[in-house]
Amino acid sequence: MNKPVDKLVVENLHLQYGDNPILKGVSMTLNPGEVVALLGASGSGKTTLLRSVAGLEQPSRGKITIGDTVLYDSEAGVDMPVEKRNLGLVFQSYALWPHRSVFDNVAYGLRLRGISASDIDQRVNQALTNLGLGALAKRLPHQLSGGQQQRVAIARALVYNPPVVLMDEPLSNLDAKLREEARAWLRELIVRLGLSALVVTHDQTEAMAMSDKILLLNFGKIEQQGTPEDMYNRPLSRFTAEFMGSNNYLPGKVTQVVDGRSLLEGDGWKLWGSARGEVKPGDTATGVIRLERTRIADSAGDNRLRTEVVTGMFLGDRKEQLFKLGALRIRCYGDIPSGAGETFIEIPPDDLWIFANDAG
Amino acid sequence: MITRNFSLPRTAVVAITALVILTPLSLIFWQSFLNAPFFNPAKHLGLDAYRFIFDDPDFWNAFLNSVVIAAGMVLIALPLGAALAFLLTRTDLPGQRIIEVLVLVPVFISPMVLAFGYVVAMGPVGFYSLWAEKVFGDTPWNIYSLTSIAVIAGLTHVPHVYLYSSAALKSLGSDVEEAARVVGANPLRVALNVSLPMTAPALFYAAVLVFFLGFELFGLPLVLGDPEGHLVLSTYLYKLTNKLGTPSYHLMAAVAVCIVAVTFPLVLLQRWLLKTSGKYVSVKGKATRQKLLPLGGWKWIALAIVALWLVFTIVVPISGITLRAFVEQWGEGIKLTDVLTLENFRQVFDQSDQVRAIINTFLIGTIGGGLAVACYTAIGLAGHRQRGGVARVLDYLVLIPRAIPGLLAGLAFLWIFLFVPGLKEMRNTVFSVWLAYTVVWLAYGLRLISGALLQIGPELEESARTVGASNAQVLRHVTIPLIRFGLLASWLLVFMIFEREYSTGVYLLGQGTEVIGSMLVSLWGAGAIDQVAALSLINIALVAVGLGVALRFGVRLHE
Repeated sequence: MNKPVDKLVVENLHLQYGDNPILKGVSMTLNPGEVVALLGASGSGKTTLLRSVAGLEQPSRGKITIGDTVLYDSEAGVDMPVEKRNLGLVFQSYALWPHRSVFDNVAYGLRLRGISASDIDQRVNQALTNLGLGALAKRLPHQLSGGQQQRVAIARALVYNPPVVLMDEPLSNLDAKLREEARAWLRELIVRLGLSALVVTHDQTEAMAMSDKILLLNFGKIEQQGTPEDMYNRPLSRFTAEFMGSNNYLPGKVTQVVDGRSLLEGDGWKLWGSARGEVKPGDTATGVIRLERTRIADSAGDNRLRTEVVTGMFLGDRKEQLFKLGALRIRCYGDIPSGAGETFIEIPPDDLWIFANDAG
Repeated sequence: MITRNFSLPRTAVVAITALVILTPLSLIFWQSFLNAPFFNPAKHLGLDAYRFIFDDPDFWNAFLNSVVIAAGMVLIALPLGAALAFLLTRTDLPGQRIIEVLVLVPVFISPMVLAFGYVVAMGPVGFYSLWAEKVFGDTPWNIYSLTSIAVIAGLTHVPHVYLYSSAALKSLGSDVEEAARVVGANPLRVALNVSLPMTAPALFYAAVLVFFLGFELFGLPLVLGDPEGHLVLSTYLYKLTNKLGTPSYHLMAAVAVCIVAVTFPLVLLQRWLLKTSGKYVSVKGKATRQKLLPLGGWKWIALAIVALWLVFTIVVPISGITLRAFVEQWGEGIKLTDVLTLENFRQVFDQSDQVRAIINTFLIGTIGGGLAVACYTAIGLAGHRQRGGVARVLDYLVLIPRAIPGLLAGLAFLWIFLFVPGLKEMRNTVFSVWLAYTVVWLAYGLRLISGALLQIGPELEESARTVGASNAQVLRHVTIPLIRFGLLASWLLVFMIFEREYSTGVYLLGQGTEVIGSMLVSLWGAGAIDQVAALSLINIALVAVGLGVALRFGVRLHE
């Protein structure tokens, strides 16, 4: 398959249903050979953005281009019909045509492009082999397992070498167990074939595992974008911090700010943390720390909380403990030291992000 | 999927649909405000026609009878239909599968045939009346009274209520009922406190529908109301010609407008109800496999009641017709074995117009039905996945023929085929009847088509667009292949409906346009009972063939 050379650029895209704005000025870039994940909760506009690129939704303003090709430009009045955009789209439900065999499903796009029968044969078989479906060409979609259907849907979207492949929740229809394997397989496929892909997902683990860049959408706007490491380790907002991982939340009040370090005080505790964004003394604020960054300790010390054990949960590969301090609940991974009367939780100041609460 | 391109085929389909629907309707309206037939040079605008019918006590009498019969039908059909639906969807009533099919039979038999069946079975000298006289010494019923007409109409419309309430009950998940059981309600309370209120919108819809159908009633009151002179609006309209001796088109049009003035708001009400009842769909429970309520000893009583209803609405009229078709005459003191004959059928096949009627009826059902489904499909596809203008226009457009009873539509098309150049020449071909049938059953046909289209997930079409298919290619390669089976099923249902139809052809009846339905009305008027019986049986046989094929292929008999 040919390596893509063109860049997908979305500029200031707006879209609304009636009076209800869905996209409020989204801009993004997808470089050739790159995988970008559109991440967000339901209603964030991620699928709408993907469908706008495909031409299945009608934006009200903005511009979408791939290389020199303008797909949509509100100012120039350009709106290329879906079938002319030459993109590949893998649907969440796979949307295989039930009345056509696997081969015919995949071959349809090539037939529409007027390619000769022998070329079609060769290219479809190549695509099916690439996806490990070589033996299934004659089957009908309902004779396939969920995982096989997904591969057919991908083959169908790739076979005519679109410059960008769009995937709408490609893994969400698979069983939880199968999903992790499929994730690795899909990532491998994308890298091996050098695809440019835009992938919609609501699962942050999936987004981090599969993509080079994540776009986190929040109510029609981009909250933050960056590499998976950036997004996970350096969230710029509380929304990003909350969305990207499992956290403990410590609501309190900021009492001191010294060189980017802030002191957060709550009912019976005080902790140093690193301020994210604008934080000043007197602000009510929330401390956020990833579960895996907290540490169970057996003695008092700097930035440690004195807590009582509530209960423990066995998760298979590790244990999760629940502690309390007044109204506060803290979750930690690890074992409770035996014999200890009291337990202490260490909160490293670098890992405790302090976000000022929004006014009101 | 959104489509923003102007599409010529779509616009053409919508334009033709509008033309075919609106022309006859506007003709009726215009005619009703003239003081003479519209082809009469001396005509002028005025309210004379309305003044005449409003001054006619017969009109008011007919109007009142229509209201009484329609209301009576609702009172009878609603509780019976709802109970039947509950018994068949929620209980372990024996013989459900057979009953489910039999229940729908009255829907597919022409009311003209049914009415005739009641006359020969239960009329003053009917088969069952005479047997009853032997047993009781007197016939304990009079089927020509207004009450009898309402009762018969009510009982034959039970299937309509059954269809809507059983659909509502089936979509109502048993989890909401189980939740009520768990918190402590017994089965009766569950039915009264949960199932009934949640299906209330469907029941109300069915009530409006039955009332509406009662207003359109033609065959039953024509046949059963005649001996005692009970008129309803449609038969009043039909008899106007006889009353004045001249073609009084302006009066007929005025009555037609009065009927539409009642039926059209009812259609709008139905549409509104359907929309509001849609809200219940979103809160409905998950449709899981339902646990059936054991009826215990009651099941035999319930079965007896259902069987009694089936005997009255199906067995009695059909057996009456069948017997009558094979006897020379019938009356008191006649022995069945003395009068058995095939003469009636010989008579039918000796008359060229009746043979033509049979052939035309068959053709209009098969070829005509296929063409009608093709038209409905074109209209359905024109509105498919469309939002805004086109879809809304189509939505309201197809409601209009729904409100026009077949008799009126036939009348309007008669005028068109009499006077529109280009169509005039086809006046004496069965095309005129086909066009009228197709328009009258447009709403029904479209419901079948859109039911099939709704089964297709939008992403199946969107995915074809994204791999490079144009709108037209999507239709050809994805949408139409996927609704193939639905189209075949629609064809079968439309076949049965077209075999059954009678009132639409009444005014179009002429040399070359004979169909069994209109032929029956005409022969009945002429008193040719023998041939009516034979033709009725042939008509039933045609419908039965369609029904048999439909059942063989597992076609759902309702949308």
